[in-house]
Amino acid sequence: MKTISGVLLILTLGAAPAWAVLGEYESSVSLDQRYMRGEDRVIAGQGYKLHQITSPNGAVVTEYVSPEGKVFGVSWRAPFIPNLEQLLGSYATPVEQAAEAQTHRHGGPLIVRAADFVFVSGGHMRAFHGSAYVPSLLPKNVTAEVVQ
Amino acid sequence: MTLKRHSMAPLARILCVAAGLTFAAGCGGGSGSTTPPPTSNPVPSITSLSPASAAVGAAAQTLTITGTGFLSSSTVTFNGAAHTATYVSSTQLTISLTAADEATAGSFAVVVTNPSPGGGASNAVDFKVSGANNVISLDVNLGPTNDYVNGLFASVEVCEPGSSTNCTTVPNVLVDTGSTGLRLLSGAVGGLTLPAVTDSSGNDVQECLQFISMTYIWGPVVQADIHLAGESAPSASVHIISESPQYAAPSSCVPTSGAQDLNSLSALGANGILGVSNLTQDCGSACTEASNGIPMYYSCPNGSCQITSVPVSSTKGQVWNPVALFPQDNNGVLVSLPKIAAGGAPTASGSLIFGIGTQTNNTLGSAQVYAVTPDLYFTTTYNGTQYSGSFIDSGSNAYYFLDSATLKNLDCTDNTGWYCPPAAASFTVTNAGTNGTTGSLTFSIDNADNLFQTGYGAFNDLGGDSGNSPSTDYFDFGVPFFFGRDVFVGIGGQTVTGVTNAPNGFWAF
Repeated sequence: MKTISGVLLILTLGAAPAWAVLGEYESSVSLDQRYMRGEDRVIAGQGYKLHQITSPNGAVVTEYVSPEGKVFGVSWRAPFIPNLEQLLGSYATPVEQAAEAQTHRHGGPLIVRAADFVFVSGGHMRAFHGSAYVPSLLPKNVTAEVVQ
Repeated sequence: MTLKRHSMAPLARILCVAAGLTFAAGCGGGSGSTTPPPTSNPVPSITSLSPASAAVGAAAQTLTITGTGFLSSSTVTFNGAAHTATYVSSTQLTISLTAADEATAGSFAVVVTNPSPGGGASNAVDFKVSGANNVISLDVNLGPTNDYVNGLFASVEVCEPGSSTNCTTVPNVLVDTGSTGLRLLSGAVGGLTLPAVTDSSGNDVQECLQFISMTYIWGPVVQADIHLAGESAPSASVHIISESPQYAAPSSCVPTSGAQDLNSLSALGANGILGVSNLTQDCGSACTEASNGIPMYYSCPNGSCQITSVPVSSTKGQVWNPVALFPQDNNGVLVSLPKIAAGGAPTASGSLIFGIGTQTNNTLGSAQVYAVTPDLYFTTTYNGTQYSGSFIDSGSNAYYFLDSATLKNLDCTDNTGWYCPPAAASFTVTNAGTNGTTGSLTFSIDNADNLFQTGYGAFNDLGGDSGNSPSTDYFDFGVPFFFGRDVFVGIGGQTVTGVTNAPNGFWAF
């Protein structure tokens, strides 16, 4: 995606929500176009682009896409936890494994810090947030900090 | 205000005579009679008040003051404020108490003062405005599963609506300042018949509650009377955590298809959750329209569960913070836990006190008030970085935060996700509320592997990793934060004396 000297190019694509799965191509986007029922904004960043889907129910899901068209990161801020299976695809499994492997942690965030997958789920009732990214899919010159 | 002496003095004399009093000076306060004027007014004395006390919230009433040396010119103060005195006799005065005088629990001094010459103030006698018993005990221990470190537990009594006999006391309910509403395992209330809350179509309402640990609880919403010490929330909506759910949890609320439910004692580690956060309801207006698609309240008319509309209403509606349903002491809570030693304690005990500034045991005192955002967050600054999504959560059993300096690469060997410094490390952070309050605090983090080895149930120096994702933008001040502090949780939209600019509620400590 071409960038215009650091200034974000914002394209509003109307009410046709895209849905992409972490680690897969953006073209897999339409796996679920109904779930969010939200407005999709495509924003060009430095060396990547993002889809930001804002739903009427207050959920904001952002998907980060590399120039090669792969989704390298996702994040969410919502009054509930969105269906992460649809967001994470096969990466839902390590999340479930991490949830079961926790020792003594109660009420705190769920984290995964693997070499090839980084995940966090935090917040509290009515204000959930989290993010996930695949380090090996980060575009050149793009750091994980863009996944906000 | 004093009464007109010239018209009341003769009456006073008559009453003095009738009472057989010999205290001529006290009864001789009149003027222009055959009795020579006194050289000096007596010092009044109060022997009793009638009534001597009232319940908080009582209606306006007359307070009769009995004693000696009262004059028609006597004045009366109640809690330091002048109240118009009506002179009955040298031994009796009355004042009118307003509802406002009795709105707050406490002991309020009543003093009668006679004017000079002589005169002066009487002894003070307290009029007691008694509040409900607003204290339940808290216990920090390993809980019913014997492995829940820093579990903060209380007992909750629930009754069938309107019944004083069909009740059960549920022990080991987690007290959670990070969620809202009472949720109990089905087995813990199995002996009660609790009516279902139904939606507008008459279908039983089910609720799904998600946790950030990618877990959830699921089951019907019912009505029960909740009793906490002397406080009651009648016909409140209570979420039943069903140990054998009638319906499968809908996929829209289950974070991932393999996510674990906490619908058992072993998984939850408690008999339920008592949510006493800054929120009044668990969902609010967003759940009053099913079309909003909030995956929380469902009905399952044909066995297939769909999101349904549930009114905010305090009866037959959403699950409320029980405190907000109390007739008094309903503006928040005070969590008071004792200081414990570094390295932990086997157990600890404290108090959950209802109301803020409503009784003598829940005054804010010198506590600093930190107002929160609509998402109940305040800002923590640590090492020059601002963490704008911070919160205090007795449902979190540790300090959870991201430390990229002191604790980096000090992960534990035995317990993933915990901090294990070789020796206790000290952290100083500065918190800021939306109302402009700022304040610093210091806490310690010790080696979690070693702490867990003790087998203790209470730790004030337990810290967990909140992940190294860039979206980690908060300090979660969990149970360790509460030790040695009085922590107030102010409910948004409620009035607390002395607190302003906190529309979404506040924390104070």
